[in-house]
Amino acid sequence: MKTESPLIRFGLAIYLVLFFTYLLGPLVLMGITAFNSASFPQVTPWEVFSFEWFTTLFNDKRILSGIGNSLIVGFFTVILSVAMGLAGALMLTQIWPKLRATFYTVIIAPILIPGVVLGISTLVFWDRVNIMLGLSDDSFLRNGIFLTVLGQATFISSYCMLVFVARLQRYDLGLTEAALDLGATHVQAFRKIQLPFLMPAVGSAAVLAFLASFENYNTTTFTFQDYPTLTIELAQKVRYGIDPSVSALAFIIVVITVFFALLNEVKTRRAQLAIANGAPVGAVSGSFKMPGFFSGNPAAVVLTLFVAVVVGTIAYSQFYDPEPAKAVLLKEKRAAQQLRIKALQERVRLQRLEKKLKGPDIFGSGNSKVPQPPSKSASPFGNVFAPTNLEKAAGTNKDEKKPAPKKPGTSAFGNVFAPTNLEKAAPKE
Amino acid sequence: MNGFMKEYFRRNGMLLGWTLLFLVGFWVIMLIILPQISMLDFSFRNHLPPPEMGGPKDTYTLVNYKFLIFGAQGNEDGYNKVDLLVFLRTLIAAAFVTILDLLICYPIAYYLGQSKGGGYIRILVLLLIIPYWINEILRAFAFRIIFGDSGVINEFLMLFSIIDSPIDFIRANIALYAGLSYAYILLMIFPMYNVIESLDRNQIEAARDMGASWYMIHKRVVIPFAKPGISSGCTMVFMLSAGALAAPQILGGPSSLWFTQLIYQWFNQGGNWPQGSAYAVVLLLTCIVIVLSVMRIFKVNMGDIGK
Amino acid sequence: MSSGVGVDLQDMWIKFGDFVAVREANVNIKGGEFFSFLGPSGCGKTTILRAVSGFLEPSDGKVLIGGNDMAGKGPNERPTALIFQNLALFPLMKVWENITFSMEVRGASADERRKRADELLDMIALSGQGDKLPSELSGGQKQRVAIARALCAQPDVLLLDEPLSALDLKLRQHMRTELREIQKRVGITFIYITHDQGEALTMSDSVAVMKAGIIDQISDGKSIYDDPATAFVASFVGENNVFRGKISKIIDGQAIIDTNRTGLLRGRVSSMAQGKLSVGDDAMMFIRPEALDISEEKSASDTRIIANVRHSEFEGQSYNVFMEGSAGKEMKMALTNRGETRLYDADVELTLGYDANQAVIVPAGELASE
Repeated sequence: MKTESPLIRFGLAIYLVLFFTYLLGPLVLMGITAFNSASFPQVTPWEVFSFEWFTTLFNDKRILSGIGNSLIVGFFTVILSVAMGLAGALMLTQIWPKLRATFYTVIIAPILIPGVVLGISTLVFWDRVNIMLGLSDDSFLRNGIFLTVLGQATFISSYCMLVFVARLQRYDLGLTEAALDLGATHVQAFRKIQLPFLMPAVGSAAVLAFLASFENYNTTTFTFQDYPTLTIELAQKVRYGIDPSVSALAFIIVVITVFFALLNEVKTRRAQLAIANGAPVGAVSGSFKMPGFFSGNPAAVVLTLFVAVVVGTIAYSQFYDPEPAKAVLLKEKRAAQQLRIKALQERVRLQRLEKKLKGPDIFGSGNSKVPQPPSKSASPFGNVFAPTNLEKAAGTNKDEKKPAPKKPGTSAFGNVFAPTNLEKAAPKE
Repeated sequence: MNGFMKEYFRRNGMLLGWTLLFLVGFWVIMLIILPQISMLDFSFRNHLPPPEMGGPKDTYTLVNYKFLIFGAQGNEDGYNKVDLLVFLRTLIAAAFVTILDLLICYPIAYYLGQSKGGGYIRILVLLLIIPYWINEILRAFAFRIIFGDSGVINEFLMLFSIIDSPIDFIRANIALYAGLSYAYILLMIFPMYNVIESLDRNQIEAARDMGASWYMIHKRVVIPFAKPGISSGCTMVFMLSAGALAAPQILGGPSSLWFTQLIYQWFNQGGNWPQGSAYAVVLLLTCIVIVLSVMRIFKVNMGDIGK
Repeated sequence: MSSGVGVDLQDMWIKFGDFVAVREANVNIKGGEFFSFLGPSGCGKTTILRAVSGFLEPSDGKVLIGGNDMAGKGPNERPTALIFQNLALFPLMKVWENITFSMEVRGASADERRKRADELLDMIALSGQGDKLPSELSGGQKQRVAIARALCAQPDVLLLDEPLSALDLKLRQHMRTELREIQKRVGITFIYITHDQGEALTMSDSVAVMKAGIIDQISDGKSIYDDPATAFVASFVGENNVFRGKISKIIDGQAIIDTNRTGLLRGRVSSMAQGKLSVGDDAMMFIRPEALDISEEKSASDTRIIANVRHSEFEGQSYNVFMEGSAGKEMKMALTNRGETRLYDADVELTLGYDANQAVIVPAGELASE
């Protein structure tokens, strides 16, 4: 890289900035909208800094039960996927050579099969089994959690398998043989020798499996039945009208993700440093030593700052009161209302202009029937499936134009981050 | 084969051997093979109310596939233009997203792969991974915030009076393409990154030493070497884009359905499982054909996929 | 010592598909013996070891340990312990846990194991190192831990698969002595696999030389070296000058062969080849470089060779003289260093002589490739 010309290096820098803006910008913006009191997730116009959407989020029963279902599904999916992925990887190392390529193709295929196909085939197959066994309609084979776990495990096991295959490539089968030779049974040799070696892979496979399960939508949407997971609930919410409490949830997930990513980075870095310094391995996994903790470990510094900011924000939210600012905003809005006629005229002008720009609605969808509010509000993101939702969406738009305090249920801004809510949030930090 | 089984139990013992066999058997037979066969079987059946299932009317039929091609009976057009168009558009759009991702990701994969590591690069890799850990729905949601009528981009453009009224990015499918490319960036970068990382830097140095231009180095040295990674990445991104459901549902314009949305409708709104299965089979077979031809054309093995 | 447990291989064949890895092996290893299998890589010696330890079942024939047929018994049911080529120390266990693994799987208590580990650590001169991890030990120390771990299982037969190959020369030579001493002390049967003839000859009571799945010769080290049974053994073990020809005369345990390039030469027929050679047969005669000497007094014409010096070099204990005989026949002579300079200039013509009893004649056969 050193010998590149300045022009290329400059281009590269621009590209890197653009790339990471594309990658992280959406998440940052979404995070910001969580703190805007406006009822549509937006950065501009900025109304008032507020934590109210977190309160809304923690009071949303469907989201909470969705998280519960996701955790249950995730738990079983992790167990099943790690076990099957490990078995698949072990089998791959010792299967008859002529069968190996075929076997590999079969167990890697679920990664390439579209998620909807996996969901459908799981649903259809177990329904068929249910009928064949003559079980009732509400048997466990029709249970949403059972079907979702199996559907997800089908392809998540393949991910796990890949993780194990990578680790097994560095395993010396001689170790298992040595254990057998020293009198261990096969189970003992596996449990005492091979499994400890595979433990890091089990860890990463489990994390991977949980994340994949937690965020899965395509497969789950066909199998969830009476147990909508968080992703399903979110999709419903987002499809039929959105509010910033989704941003709030996204913000929390991003914070948790960044925290664990940094934590992992710190650990890896420390292990590397320790090994580089020739320290015994035992010391690497030992307890934190503050002076050594930061040395040569930028990730540790970032992690500490990060935790400090998060803790600070939560503490701040306890006594932060957006009410005065809201009152100011309200005053301004009232003033603005006095110029309502003028604004209306402006609106009409804009509307005409827009019509000119767009021309007749060539798509002929139901959308054209609803007058499009010109700006500053969510347009109904034309929901093709359910025309009735358009009205709902349009309805929320009307709400938005009203001053915020008029919205029911959101008047008690002073104690949005009530201590009870905080307790729920606290364990995540 | 018998000898193989004997050797297998000799190596693993009875308990462990049977446990492994059971787990792998359950996965391969009960989760992978039989469900697919079952779906295929279902796609050839009539749409019947449950009491009539297994009855005299429950026969094999091509009616579901005919519907996809010719539409409902008595259709004037002769072909089911709406659905076929959706199918075709999904494939073209997925190909477009794949190419877009390839263009976006190749430079970063090359840059990361050829850098000499260090904390800075590790942080960049970390930044790459973080968005991937965020829920698919939330990623799409973020793009809806950005591209909405009152989204950041429209507000920004209007603030500087570049446009007078908001552009409908959703209807124009720009939000959808941006969201889909965003969703699968990582799957494009990592296969390429892994391959490029194993390319000996001396090869590039040598090429440069011999006077090769920046363009020639990539064309003759890096890209041929990275081919397995490139085709693996492209295959995965294409498959996942074509099979995406959440992003089209959230970001798709009102007039542009994704093929998976049709399948979804047959199952969740139409309640016509055999019809939905037939559509799913078509999607699956198309994907298989495309993957196999890509592997044939670029001479890539199955073993290269998923590295 | 002789009370140890012996190992018998009876008509043992091992096949992998169509490939025959071991062909009709018949070996009788006596209890308490240090027995080596010597051969080039790929000759099937490791396969034999795996069949003894139970990782492989012979395709045909039997493995007996202490007279008991081992058919159907897995490695964890046999009274053997194997020391792997790469040692296979468990990387995540401490040294003492490694050593007492065989006790752990039998359910011995930690105290018991700790005590036994300390005894064995004392024996291998690694006292106080039990809490280290294998990765913190040097090559020689790892070696000794592997031995201790195997001995801790109290096997009747210890199997060693080229355990010294990863060590440097000095350490290797030191470990030879140490292994031999350990074997004498514990008194159990050692079966040792190696491609290094030095290791086989220095340590073993008996050596079996193998080539491509076939055992060519089993005897003590001296016989292997001085009285090889086949051309392969003669060329694999130590250096040799080889002369090809046809038997022209057989007299009283000796024979004269007619070499195409060096004329008639006399030698001793190998004891294993006695009675198997007759006049006119293709044969090979081997003379060790150290068996050749400058012919001071004129020796008989059939133990005399004329050669021109190509070059010579000093190797410490000896001078090596590389020569070319008639028709370009290459030869090497090693002259013991007794103080005087014996470097010869190129093109000096030398008359060489040898003792006919130190030239061995065997039936013509394949030579070990360099």
